[in-house]
Amino acid sequence: MKVAIANRGEVAVRIIQACRELGIQSVLLHSECDMRSRAYRMSDEQVCIGPANVKDSYLNVESVIRGAIASGANAIHPGFGFLSENAEFAELCLKNNLEFIGPSPHSIRAMGDKVSARALMQKAGVPVVPGYQGEDQKNETLLNEAKKISFPVISKAANGGGGRGIKIIRSEKEFASMIESAKREANAAFGSERIFLEKYIEGAKHIEFQIFGDCTGRIFHLFERECSVQRRHQKIIEEAQSPSLNDEIRNQMSEAAVRAATAVQYRGAGTVEFLFYDNKYYFMEMNTRLQVEHPVTESILNVDLVKAQIRTAQKKPLTWIQKNIIPRGHAIECRIYAENPYVGGAPSTGVLGTCIFPEGPGRRFDFGFERGDEITSYYDSMIAKVIVWDENRDRCIEKMLRTLDETVIFGVYTNIPFLKEILNHFEFRSGQMTTQFIEKYFSEPLPAIELTEEEKIFSEKMLQTMTSPSAIAEIGSAASPWGHFWRNV
Amino acid sequence: MKPFAEMVGQRLWVHINGKTFVYETSGSKKRKTSAGEADKRDIAAPMPGKITDVLVKPDDRVSKGQVLVVMEAMKMEYTLKAERDGIIAEIRCSVGGQVNAGDILICLR
Repeated sequence: MKVAIANRGEVAVRIIQACRELGIQSVLLHSECDMRSRAYRMSDEQVCIGPANVKDSYLNVESVIRGAIASGANAIHPGFGFLSENAEFAELCLKNNLEFIGPSPHSIRAMGDKVSARALMQKAGVPVVPGYQGEDQKNETLLNEAKKISFPVISKAANGGGGRGIKIIRSEKEFASMIESAKREANAAFGSERIFLEKYIEGAKHIEFQIFGDCTGRIFHLFERECSVQRRHQKIIEEAQSPSLNDEIRNQMSEAAVRAATAVQYRGAGTVEFLFYDNKYYFMEMNTRLQVEHPVTESILNVDLVKAQIRTAQKKPLTWIQKNIIPRGHAIECRIYAENPYVGGAPSTGVLGTCIFPEGPGRRFDFGFERGDEITSYYDSMIAKVIVWDENRDRCIEKMLRTLDETVIFGVYTNIPFLKEILNHFEFRSGQMTTQFIEKYFSEPLPAIELTEEEKIFSEKMLQTMTSPSAIAEIGSAASPWGHFWRNV
Repeated sequence: MKPFAEMVGQRLWVHINGKTFVYETSGSKKRKTSAGEADKRDIAAPMPGKITDVLVKPDDRVSKGQVLVVMEAMKMEYTLKAERDGIIAEIRCSVGGQVNAGDILICLR
């Protein structure tokens, strides 16, 4: 097998690592502006599939397929985002004798249309949130339905996923403008204006179950992750397991997740997302792909989901036995976004300087960019993920704080200060946080950073040393990484 | 962990006591780059991106909090609101246009 990777950044690196361990050649299908990235350097072969703009490269189905064929690959791993949940793309791969590393186009389609997925789940006996999923998309009809459901309602893209195209509408007054914006966003992100409405359950938790279908048709569940810490429906911190489930409800939910996957003859890695409120759960959607937060599941179960995906595509059965899949300890993932936490999370772009990902027991860093690589505004601002494991949740939080303290990224602002505030927050510590957590406690940008006398003195000294004419001469050529790197001067 | 610093481009990045920041000398005024610090009369792009909608015309009267411009950046939609009551003096962007961080999009008077 030779795997073409239709993705970028840290997930491309993750797939390359899995390929290497399985002795499989990897080909990175990349855009013109991703030639300075870790995945580019790590992959065995590279094929440029178009300009920076995603429409011309990562979302351009024909370019991706052509690139894969040209490289002699016989399989495509779509990662997450981009074409990972595009059934037409999966079909086209198969037509071109490229194995699609993921579920069948049928499963993608059944779950990708969020409207039919809801109906399917109801039939399979999985509880869903009250809502409107009709074909009539006139604003007037939608408004009437919203009133029937009662405000607040949430509007989602029928073809959507990953938090994009979602709007919470609190009153009739703002309905018209919000619906227009929701349709526009849905169209821009997923190529269809169609939306559906659901009752917005305030104060719910986001809990999802990892499931996996192997090539023999067996479906496993790999326990849950809690991803309640979200901003604008983008997850920021995820953990496994959830601090909120008891064994009884956990069993019920895992059975529901397996029923959901079975209903679409699921193969490969998938995630069934639930809202959890008042000890009741409601199906939200199923993501028919690898999730960004898959490492926390890998950490507590000692499994490798990406290798399992590839083996499944090779038609090799997994050696897992459900009753032997037993969680151990606790894992947390923090997503590092290139954004400025002091101006409300505005994306930050630029060339990276020194980056230090401090290794240690139970620490894992999935990162796609290093010194000299450029973070541009063409793509998602997530540049790395930090995952830690420890014996229990409290220690895990402590370890994450320590790890983030030692993590250094120069050249762009990151949300690390924001992550640390969250990890130190009493509600996060208590495990009671809901999807309202960020808007409730962190609606304002972080206050400007305060420097102690010691920090000012150090910085001022460094500034003077480094900007003096002799220092610039001494730093010398940019080719030496150590020239820029002054420790404890 | 020992503190250290590095010049990246023209700016000094410092990591000390678990904090990472850009240090600009205490002697001179900080450069204003972000929308948060900009004049409240002007609406500036907080990030590079594409304008997806302009909801006002010149001479429109707007109130604080009203959405003026919608832009898309890094695959998300952002709404830019009036920071005070006023009248639209000038619109310096158009739907579909690319803008850079800090570009003035709308002037109020």
